[in-house]
Amino acid sequence: MELRVIEKADTMLSIEVAGEDHTFMNVLKGALLETEGVTAATYDVNPEQSGGQTEPILTIKTEENVDALDALEDGAERVIAKSQNFREAFEAAA
Amino acid sequence: MTEEYEVEFVDLGEREATFLVRPITPAFANGIRRAMIADVPTFSIDTVRFIENSSVMFDEQLGLRLGLVPLSTPPGEFEEGEEVTLSLDVEGPETAYSGDLVASDPMVEPADDNIPIIDLKDGQRLELEADAVLDSGREHAKHQGGVAVSYRHLQTVEVVGERGEFAADDPHVLRGVIEEQEADAAADADAQNGDLVPTDAFDNDLTNRYPEKELDVHDIEDAFVFNVETDGSFDVETLVLEAVGSLETRADELKEAVQL
Repeated sequence: MELRVIEKADTMLSIEVAGEDHTFMNVLKGALLETEGVTAATYDVNPEQSGGQTEPILTIKTEENVDALDALEDGAERVIAKSQNFREAFEAAA
Repeated sequence: MTEEYEVEFVDLGEREATFLVRPITPAFANGIRRAMIADVPTFSIDTVRFIENSSVMFDEQLGLRLGLVPLSTPPGEFEEGEEVTLSLDVEGPETAYSGDLVASDPMVEPADDNIPIIDLKDGQRLELEADAVLDSGREHAKHQGGVAVSYRHLQTVEVVGERGEFAADDPHVLRGVIEEQEADAAADADAQNGDLVPTDAFDNDLTNRYPEKELDVHDIEDAFVFNVETDGSFDVETLVLEAVGSLETRADELKEAVQL
């Protein structure tokens, strides 16, 4: 997974996540919105044929005392935790 | 920190299953669904070398048919892009079936033996070598392991009163799975509140289960019923776990990339 920072301030981050699509980006966005300290999270992705920016761009805004990059890391950790919880629950039921 | 999930199976077969997950956000549910369709790799024939084809169809047509034969794919044994060779040699008069494909690796063989490839008449012969490659549904639909993957809200039925004496005698069709909340009104004597009831248990018609009642149907928030069917490359359990694993791997990669 290749990341390219497009814009970075203390409480704001705009970053390109190469090689991903809605499958992962929407899960990540959903997890970020549940993460403490994140005030806004969204992503934008254009269709392949549009010819311009076709890799998704994730934008995060955070509360004043939270660094946006740390928030992204927390969001990723949240997705990992969700996946592990899901796997455990599924294996226990199957 | 994150919520615990509860998974409950309504139906579990090797290739088809229905299960309830809660509490799960729509974002995560859809991520799992999409990952099952496009991101779990399976083997599929991608290159064919024809040694003899005296059948009535062109090489390309047979190549397409061969590509669509599901091949068993053990999880974790192969890397994406790895190839396994299969061969086929059938002489007419006979029908060449997927079961006639002989795999060089016993782990990768046709999931079904009875898919017809072509009917060979007297004197016709088909001999070929095929390379199956491991790739994902994102690349080509023939690599899709999950052929019918969907989810919908778990629903519940509320009895809001008696049906009017002269009300129209229309069926009230509902599909999916309901959680029983009105066991006293149900026509099934064994019904207990909290039961998961697939709607085909009452012929998808709520008037069969709650006769003479006025009903309201509600979605239950953050409770989703998944319906998963695989093409036979692996069982449902493998598909679901591989899909969740692929999301986890990507989150892991992201975390590592951010830390640098």
